[in-house]
Amino acid sequence: MTESKELYRKLVDLYAGGELPTELEEELREAARHDSELGWEMATLRRTVELTKEAHPSPEFGEESFQRILIKLYTRAGQMQTQSPEPAHLQYHLPIQG
Amino acid sequence: MPNDDLQDSLAEKRWLGALAKGDSSALGGIYELYGERIFRYAYRMLGNRSDAEDATAETFLRVLRRSSELRADGAFRTWLFRIARNLCIDKLRQHKLMELPADTQFACSEERTILRITVQQALADLPMEYREPLVLCDLQDMAAREAAGVLEISVPALKSRLYRGRRALRDKLKGTMERSLK
Repeated sequence: MTESKELYRKLVDLYAGGELPTELEEELREAARHDSELGWEMATLRRTVELTKEAHPSPEFGEESFQRILIKLYTRAGQMQTQSPEPAHLQYHLPIQG
Repeated sequence: MPNDDLQDSLAEKRWLGALAKGDSSALGGIYELYGERIFRYAYRMLGNRSDAEDATAETFLRVLRRSSELRADGAFRTWLFRIARNLCIDKLRQHKLMELPADTQFACSEERTILRITVQQALADLPMEYREPLVLCDLQDMAAREAAGVLEISVPALKSRLYRGRRALRDKLKGTMERSLK
C-alpha cells in the first residue's frame, strides 16, 4: 500500500504534463479518490500547466514579423560580408591615388 | 519519425549543405524552416516583439558565421535554440527584468486578463533555472531530451528543474489557483 502510494506520488509530475498513458492516468485518478492529498497535488499541478499555457498564447508571427527579421538578417549579413580582413582602400590602387 | 520532422530534417540537410558550399542564399531557407519557432521561443523568453525579432535575426546570423562548421546531424536544431537562448540571456542581463508581453491581444474578459497577467508575472518572477524548462517544455512543447540539450544539462536534471519549477509556480499562484479550480 505504502509502496504504491509512493509510486503514485512519483507519477504526479508526469500526470501534470499529460505524459501518462490513459490506463495509468485512470489508475492514478482512482487512487486519488481515496487520497485527498494526492488528488490535490494532481489537480493543482495540472492546473498550473494549463494556466501557464493559457496565459502565454502563441505569439503571432505574421508576414510583417517574418519580413522585418529577414531584412535585419540580410542587412547584418551584408555588413558582415563586406568587412574584409584588409581595409578596402588597400585592395585597390585607384588612378587618383597614383 | 513523424512526417513533418522527416521533411524538416531533409530540408535542413539540403540548406546546410548549400550553406557550407558558400551559398549564402541558403540562409533564407534555414530561416524559413526554423524562424517561427526561434521567434516564438525568443518572445517567450524576452516578453517583447522587438527584442525577440532582433534575437531571431542574430541567431540566424550566427548560423552564417559558423556555416563551414555546421553539420545536419540532428543536433543543429538544438544548437540553434542554444544560440537563441544565449542571446536572450544576454538581452535579459542588459534589460535586468523581463517585460510582460505588451502586444498580446487580450480579447477576453477583465477577469481572464487579470488571471493572464498574474500568471505571466509569476512565471517571469521565477528563477531562470526553473523558468527555462517551463518555457521549453510547457510552452514550446519541446521533448525533455531536446530541452536538456538546449540547456546543456542531463535529462534527469531537466525533469527535476521542470517539476520543481511547476511547484514553485503553483505556490506563487496559490490564491489564483484555488479560485480557478472552483
